Amino acid sequence: MNIAINACSPDSRQYLGQNVVLSGIHKAYGPTVALPNVSLNVERGQFCTLLGASGSGKTTLLKIIAGFEKPDAGTVKIAGRDVTHTPIADRNIGMVFQNYALFPHMSVFDNVSFPLRMRKVGSDEIKKRVNETLDLVSMTKLATRLPRELSGGQQQRAALARALVFTPDILLMDEPLGALDKNLRQTIQLQLKKLHHDLGLTIVFVTHDQEEAMHLSDHIVILDRGTIIQQGLPEDLYRKPSSEFVAGFLGECNFVSGGDRKTLGVRPDKVRLATHLAESDIRYEGRILMSTFSGLHWKVFIEYQDKTIVAYAPGDLSEAARTPGAALSWGFRRQDAMEFAAA
Amino acid sequence: MSTAVPLMPAPTAVMRARRHSRNKMAVLAALPLIVFLLLFFIGPIASFLREAFYADDQLSLANFQHLVNTPIYRIVLVNTLTIAAAVTVACVVISYPLAYLMATVGPRVAQILFFAVLLPFWSSALVRTTAWIALLGKNGPLNALLTTVGVVDEPIAFLYNFTGVMIGMTHVLMPFVVLPLYAAFRGMDGALTQAAQSLGARSLSIFRHVVLPLTSPGVVAGAIIVFMNAVGYYITPSLMGGPAQRMVAELISDNITKELNWGLAAALASVLLLAVILSLWLFNRLFGLDKLISGTSDKGSTAVSAQRTPGGRLSVVAGICAAVFLILPIIVVVPMSFGTSEFPIFPPPEYGLRWYTNFLEDSKWVNALWSSLKVGLIVTVFATVLGTTAALGVEKMSSRRKTWLDAFFIVPMSVPAILTGVALFYLTAPWGAVSNSVAVVIGHTVLAAPYVYITIRAALRSLDTNLELAALGLGASWPTMFRLVMLPALLPSLIGGAVFAFVTSFDDVVMALFLTTVRNRTLPKLMYEGIAHDFDPTVISASCILIAATALILLGRLAFGNKKVSTK
Repeated sequence: MNIAINACSPDSRQYLGQNVVLSGIHKAYGPTVALPNVSLNVERGQFCTLLGASGSGKTTLLKIIAGFEKPDAGTVKIAGRDVTHTPIADRNIGMVFQNYALFPHMSVFDNVSFPLRMRKVGSDEIKKRVNETLDLVSMTKLATRLPRELSGGQQQRAALARALVFTPDILLMDEPLGALDKNLRQTIQLQLKKLHHDLGLTIVFVTHDQEEAMHLSDHIVILDRGTIIQQGLPEDLYRKPSSEFVAGFLGECNFVSGGDRKTLGVRPDKVRLATHLAESDIRYEGRILMSTFSGLHWKVFIEYQDKTIVAYAPGDLSEAARTPGAALSWGFRRQDAMEFAAA
Repeated sequence: MSTAVPLMPAPTAVMRARRHSRNKMAVLAALPLIVFLLLFFIGPIASFLREAFYADDQLSLANFQHLVNTPIYRIVLVNTLTIAAAVTVACVVISYPLAYLMATVGPRVAQILFFAVLLPFWSSALVRTTAWIALLGKNGPLNALLTTVGVVDEPIAFLYNFTGVMIGMTHVLMPFVVLPLYAAFRGMDGALTQAAQSLGARSLSIFRHVVLPLTSPGVVAGAIIVFMNAVGYYITPSLMGGPAQRMVAELISDNITKELNWGLAAALASVLLLAVILSLWLFNRLFGLDKLISGTSDKGSTAVSAQRTPGGRLSVVAGICAAVFLILPIIVVVPMSFGTSEFPIFPPPEYGLRWYTNFLEDSKWVNALWSSLKVGLIVTVFATVLGTTAALGVEKMSSRRKTWLDAFFIVPMSVPAILTGVALFYLTAPWGAVSNSVAVVIGHTVLAAPYVYITIRAALRSLDTNLELAALGLGASWPTMFRLVMLPALLPSLIGGAVFAFVTSFDDVVMALFLTTVRNRTLPKLMYEGIAHDFDPTVISASCILIAATALILLGRLAFGNKKVSTK
């Protein structure tokens, strides 16, 4: 399935989406503080992902933007307008729910036309806009189907169409790909990315899947216990994580003591084994636990002290360096190590 | 399995033989209840209704002509349908906010609300009617409040008119809508209303476009049950209505006890039965009778902690009012029972145990209580045995037979008690079975066995048949398997069914009116006489004793149910 829309060149991009500014958001449920004090800017046309484990506050934050929850303190501004106390129906926000929340008794067409009917749009205009939007997600042929007659991927696209048809200022997505299998997920990720780029949408996306976050986002916000730990471009977060937590959360990372209350982190692809080690490298002695071949590289699991070190070694790795039980030297270049203050 | 290519003929033959013997066992297990219902339900009703088609020992339609030609009968028939329809509408309207409230509050508050719905539901219609009469009377607490506050100058006549019948019957029948509606609300994905809000819908639109279409099956199901019950109602309209609100059940009773006109009574009964059968047919067409068996399916939607819309907040207020409406008479009647005056007054000027003492010292009350307990326990045993064996048998049958037998076993609880009661009276009175309580035991078993059947059937449905096969495959014999695997799994439902059977018997008035005498009357019958003739305040203390018993049973069940959940 291809999405055919007029692709705009980067300089002439028209942004459909607006910006979102959260400042000083505080939210507590009884004695439990979900969000102590969160401030966040989402630029126009940005694909911003809130990434965190369950209970990190990412969904609460999304609900506050949508208006399903009221913050105890702080303000929400969309396109410069303070909407903190605006009812949900007046916020002009598109939302795609975790299980899509399609109305089960309405056809795809009726689901997608619902927001337009609520806005009292004329019936000719409704027909035109619904068909355009269904075309955008390649669902035109399924317009008369009921949600239960659709596959998971089709439901996902119908939900997306329904959230886009009224040109919302921002699009909120709450783990929308969680229910799909891996292949379909990747296809939809691509479509979503393209749609985002072509329409200039502002998207706030919630997920606990770091890989998905890396694939999709311009901007990742890592949350832990209601606090933003770090935010920025995906590659910046990956290469220059500010803490051991971020390094471990975003991609795989091995940690060893660096002495002097410091911890060194190194990505598996930066780990060098046996003969690949250079004179100047930091070296350790370990024992091979297991090794698996993934096509691109060997994945070698090394027992070192009480830890399991993971290394991606080139495909031509010698057999001696991947036989379980054998002793193995491993290490890394000093400049490849990330240094953190020990927790 | 039968379409598989018979590569190995021997096992297939064995299997077929085994299935054959299994079917035989199944039929044998279901037979007792079938025979019982044929003898004491279908048979009596058929022979009673035959009277409708005879006049002066000749086959004729004279009785029906009489019904059509006499204005009073026409009026009563129209009245019956009007009242039943009005009550149905009232039940639906009041149930909506309450069900919404129950489905959207936290588990603790929901439990309190459940209690408020179930306590009146489980206490007898008579107790509730007593409470309303005490509450709404000319000198009752509500009128006292209204006149003191100065809302009205003269006490309002709530009782013995249309208002009285509406209040009483809506109160009695509302739970039949609230419970399926609650299930419908719970089954609805909470994100749907959020989605509608985010798409720009306001309270009214959300209700019209999302809530109403998605809950309407539950509501229609409940409404049909209410209508079916309401057309055959006897106690509440006869006690709370006036002459203008006479309904067909009361007329049937009058024709038998006062006019001694069996032909006309049977003709009226035929009309009533027709209305009930039409409702059942409609229910079956729309939902299938098995929906009555599956009961409330609680999918347990994600509890959505979202801001309520303005309409949602309004519904909460209305829902609280509905809950108060349900529980209020029961709450008010308790302090009234501790009054000492000749008339029920709220709040009582003086507290004492006068009417409780009266209850315990007057032999007629104690005898009636004793008689009720005795009948209730015997009925519980009979109904539980008949209902359980039938459910076990039907579970093993082909689905075609299942459908038919399910329908057959459900009908006795849908047919108005007055019909079954009168028909059994017609059959058993000549044997002298009325004066020795055999008749009332039979009648209550007809009413109660279907409840046990339904409870056990529902439990068997949810029981994993693989458990049974696994146990048999591991070498257990069928009786051992039943004892070690099925019985423990069925026990909660078995207890539930038995309690239901007991309560059904213990609460019944209508059958007792016809099937007992002054000597062996049950407590509800004595209470009915206590209200219908001249108001004896002992009735209120008797009601409170019944309420306390019901509340205990209910709390026990709630606690038991919780334990079940927590061990899961």
